[in-house]
Amino acid sequence: MQALAAIFWKGLRHHMRYPGEFVIFLMLPFLFTFLILGMGTAIAGNNASAYFAARTGTTNIVIYEILGGAVWMTSWVVVEDVGTAIRDEQIKGTLEQNFLAPVRRFTLLVGLSLTDVVITSAIFLLVVGVSVAVVLPSSFVTIIPAFLALLLGLIPLFGIGFLFAGFVVRFKEPYIFIQIVNLVFATLTGTYYPVTLLPYWVQLLSGVLPQTYVIDDMRRIVLANQTLVNLYGSIFILLALALAYPILGYAVFRRIERKASVTGEFSKY
Amino acid sequence: MNSRNISCPSRLIEEFKASFLKDLRSYFRYPAWVIGEFLSTPLWFFFFALGVTLFVPAASAATSERGPSTGFSYFFFGFIFLILFSTSVWGVGQSVRNEQESGTLEQFFLAPANRATLILGRWARIFLTDSLIISYITLLLYLVGGIAVTILNPTLFLLSIGLYELSLIGFGLFMAGLTVRIKAYNSIGNAIFFGYMIFTGALFPIAVLPQPVRYFSMLIPFTYLNDLMRHAALGTSMILPESLEYIVAILAAVGMLTFGFVAFNMIEENARVKGSIATS
Repeated sequence: MQALAAIFWKGLRHHMRYPGEFVIFLMLPFLFTFLILGMGTAIAGNNASAYFAARTGTTNIVIYEILGGAVWMTSWVVVEDVGTAIRDEQIKGTLEQNFLAPVRRFTLLVGLSLTDVVITSAIFLLVVGVSVAVVLPSSFVTIIPAFLALLLGLIPLFGIGFLFAGFVVRFKEPYIFIQIVNLVFATLTGTYYPVTLLPYWVQLLSGVLPQTYVIDDMRRIVLANQTLVNLYGSIFILLALALAYPILGYAVFRRIERKASVTGEFSKY
Repeated sequence: MNSRNISCPSRLIEEFKASFLKDLRSYFRYPAWVIGEFLSTPLWFFFFALGVTLFVPAASAATSERGPSTGFSYFFFGFIFLILFSTSVWGVGQSVRNEQESGTLEQFFLAPANRATLILGRWARIFLTDSLIISYITLLLYLVGGIAVTILNPTLFLLSIGLYELSLIGFGLFMAGLTVRIKAYNSIGNAIFFGYMIFTGALFPIAVLPQPVRYFSMLIPFTYLNDLMRHAALGTSMILPESLEYIVAILAAVGMLTFGFVAFNMIEENARVKGSIATS
């Protein structure tokens, strides 16, 4: 527990040292929402919200888009933090010290993930909380079940982060890898549109990503006043993914890590 | 840029060629980045395009025989502007910062070559790869969505692209100078890029913006260059009367190019005196 707390605080201090990054994560959902709204209004004119409602079932464009954007940012933080953590230590020359410390690798990864729970919660509460309070104050309490859906969705996301941490050890080049992964996630999970707009075979891929369910559930909770109980189907899927991804991610990470220890991959740039 | 580096045209061409080839070699030395760039750019495009689709009536979302809707083309050209503008900020502008971070800035500045030519070599490489990416997305769009992108007035379009590129070089040089002075380049680069997306009418007409913000947009030279290119490509109405907008666009391009050269030279001289060139 002591080691876990140390890793958690180390990660949190690192984030606090670079507040600019946090501000960017807070601003991006608003920026992208504003851009899409601007482009949509330019195309559809006065009919923008009517056309939007015909495709999404709601006229509340801002909240619909902000919810997607906020979930995208949380997955961005997790993939970037957990995915590049090992590589960052490698570049800084501190990986050996970390691996020689009497701490299990799993504790190391979970500690990093716990830091991200705090950061992503802050992003969600500030971005979504403020937006709902201003645009849809009558639904403000719904951000509590929406937040619970996010927390549940974070567990499989950490598993995906472990998976990437392994890939990054193996293939290096984490930043371009993470940029593509974040874009794929944004495109496949319905960040700014319903996934039903995607071709059927792409929707199958969307179905294995936890953010797809989190975004959809949040929209149903905040915009259609549904409860977590009503959404038991997707909650059940999220629970299954929460079990599958961490096990798979950690197994892949351990396998690549063991191989890298033998081949000396860790010391290579 | 110093007097000792002012060279004859043939020498400048040689320097430019050497700089271009050096940058091209560095670019292809990292295949993961090349693949990444070719994958991520169309992904950004489709990501935004799908978002915008929500605002198009369902019946007209499919491609008609007359080609893509004006709205879609408007967005497509906006996306091209973003790709090109990123040349200024992340390409030309960041070139000096990259040399600074990799510890080769001293060699770069000590080379018996014109500094601006060295930076122009990078611009040329990025212009080449940007053109390839834009062509590839256009082809992809045609193959996947059956959407053929057409240009209404190709001559005017080429002329406006030329003016836009001149201003990008100028702005890029200014940004390159800025990196010598200000080390937190990423944050400034992001802020400028986001500002460009919102205020210059790149992705949507400035008429969508509230009135006071529109006045601010009209103070930015890129607003007129974007407007002129889009007018040439799609025949959209212009912000200013046509002849006046041509004059404003030419003045904006020449003005920004001159400003970029002067600003870069001044900042570099200042940094040289203060000894802050290589501090990272």
